[in-house]
Amino acid sequence: MQELMSKIAEAIKAGEEEQVKSLVEEGLAENLGPAQILKDAMMPAMNEIGMLFSKGEVFIPELIVSAMAMEAGLEVLKPRLGDEAKGRGKVVLGTVYGDIHSIGKNLVRMCMEGAGLEVIDIGEDLRTEKFVDACKEHKPDILGLSALLSSTMQRMPEVIEAVRAVDPSALIMVGGAPITQKFADDIGASGYAPDAYQAALKAKELLSDR
Amino acid sequence: MNGKERMLKAFSHEEADRVPVWELAFNESSIINLGRFFTDDLPPMKLAQEMTMEEKVKLLNTLFTLVRELELDGISSILLLGTEPVDENHVKDGWGRIHRLSEEGELTAVGGPVSGPADLANLKPYHPQQSEFIMLMAAKGNFGDDLAQVVVQPGPFRESWMFLGSMEKLLYYYMKDPRFVHALARTATDWILELVDMAVDLGADIIALDGDLAFSQTTLMSPAQYEEFIFPYHQEITEHVHSRGKLIFKHTDGNAWPIMDGFAEAGFDGFHPVQPQCMDIGKVKAEYKDRLCILGNIDCMYLLPFGSEEEVEQSVKETIAAAAPGGGYVISSSNSIHPGCKPENYIAMVKAARKYGDYPIRIEG
Repeated sequence: MQELMSKIAEAIKAGEEEQVKSLVEEGLAENLGPAQILKDAMMPAMNEIGMLFSKGEVFIPELIVSAMAMEAGLEVLKPRLGDEAKGRGKVVLGTVYGDIHSIGKNLVRMCMEGAGLEVIDIGEDLRTEKFVDACKEHKPDILGLSALLSSTMQRMPEVIEAVRAVDPSALIMVGGAPITQKFADDIGASGYAPDAYQAALKAKELLSDR
Repeated sequence: MNGKERMLKAFSHEEADRVPVWELAFNESSIINLGRFFTDDLPPMKLAQEMTMEEKVKLLNTLFTLVRELELDGISSILLLGTEPVDENHVKDGWGRIHRLSEEGELTAVGGPVSGPADLANLKPYHPQQSEFIMLMAAKGNFGDDLAQVVVQPGPFRESWMFLGSMEKLLYYYMKDPRFVHALARTATDWILELVDMAVDLGADIIALDGDLAFSQTTLMSPAQYEEFIFPYHQEITEHVHSRGKLIFKHTDGNAWPIMDGFAEAGFDGFHPVQPQCMDIGKVKAEYKDRLCILGNIDCMYLLPFGSEEEVEQSVKETIAAAAPGGGYVISSSNSIHPGCKPENYIAMVKAARKYGDYPIRIEG
């Protein structure tokens, strides 16, 4: 069993989507619990890749193929996870109005999913009301706002204000190239991280503190 | 000495009469807000795509006015690709790439003619039209050889991911299908070489090879991946530009340190914009002063949008002290004058460049 779990982890790190799928299917056929496969093989593998990315030891291509392999495994697991999937934490992610850049947000999504969070990606270039509506509809544990430009990051305070007008205790994370911890603090964000992997860690930290 | 001579001196690592001042790009609203300081004849505040031809001409004239009034040493032109509308927010170019419009004035490809190796045959070459260089032709007509004519052109990485409509997809294929990545880069490079020829024929002095290869922390790809998938095409492009007797520099945002040696070895003549949050200009100067002309470094992320004019002046002074001695430095923002930058701060930047930029540089450390 341990050998199979190691193989799943290695296949995720290598970004081998098909191999991950068949190994996960094999695990399920051998009566391994879906949550066990997720928590003991898939998430640690993605965590390791994320950590190496954060340290500059692997780059975006490696992160992407691992995330795709993770996603392939999750597709197999999802129908079997059932209630076990709940309670992992839900995040709504989007890029603020005027900003059409998506790669930073997408990397955060990959890392957060790799950390076992449920992520709803609502897209790019979104007006404030879209974030408010998405929060009402999906009731996320965390709202994540992304901006690549120092002009568009100015829209973040407005989104925070509008979302908190509906839910004063909303947890809101911000990130993107121009964002700093100081800016995040100044606008009342609940969290900030300098890269995608650390954003996933920060989200989990915020959830555990709640 | 005129602006063009000043810029060329900087690229040959010599001291001119003063540090040249130039900018990669100004957005529509930046042009209009800066233009207010020099003229009342302004176009309405909207995106170029939404302007009538008459308003576009007015926008271009406003840009020329501010370049003239601020005595900039070079002017940048972009390729205005012919597009047709797809819907309210999207246009399609001659390659079949779908671009999303944004209020920040930047087009971003969100769909391409190719989705993966299986439909590579859908990528049909598109050849540049002279009319797409209208900005260069107008700039050349207005300034001739008084200013350096810089033409901004996406590089093979950006052109390649635009064929797919997604940077993530291209980076995925770095791992999964190197032959496909090379096929895209080959098509992109052939197109870029054609563009270079047309730009040079129409009067370009310097090519700015655009397309980010880095972000705040590090490069998008590893140095080995840069070496494999981008370097050979960069080398081919720089050799071609040099064979036409012109200069070329690489632009990328972010921390490009892991691939800076690659840029120098690929034959680039300069590097822009040395984003101060990620790269120390003193270190870049120390490492590459004989190989790369350095352009940029005045922070447009915080300083130009939110700083005071005094802070801008101080930053210009420090940057000139660090990068200008011996030549090889062109002052500009750390990316472009985007809509968030205060026009007063940009003017303060240019004034400070004049105040401290006379050679020989005499700034107390």
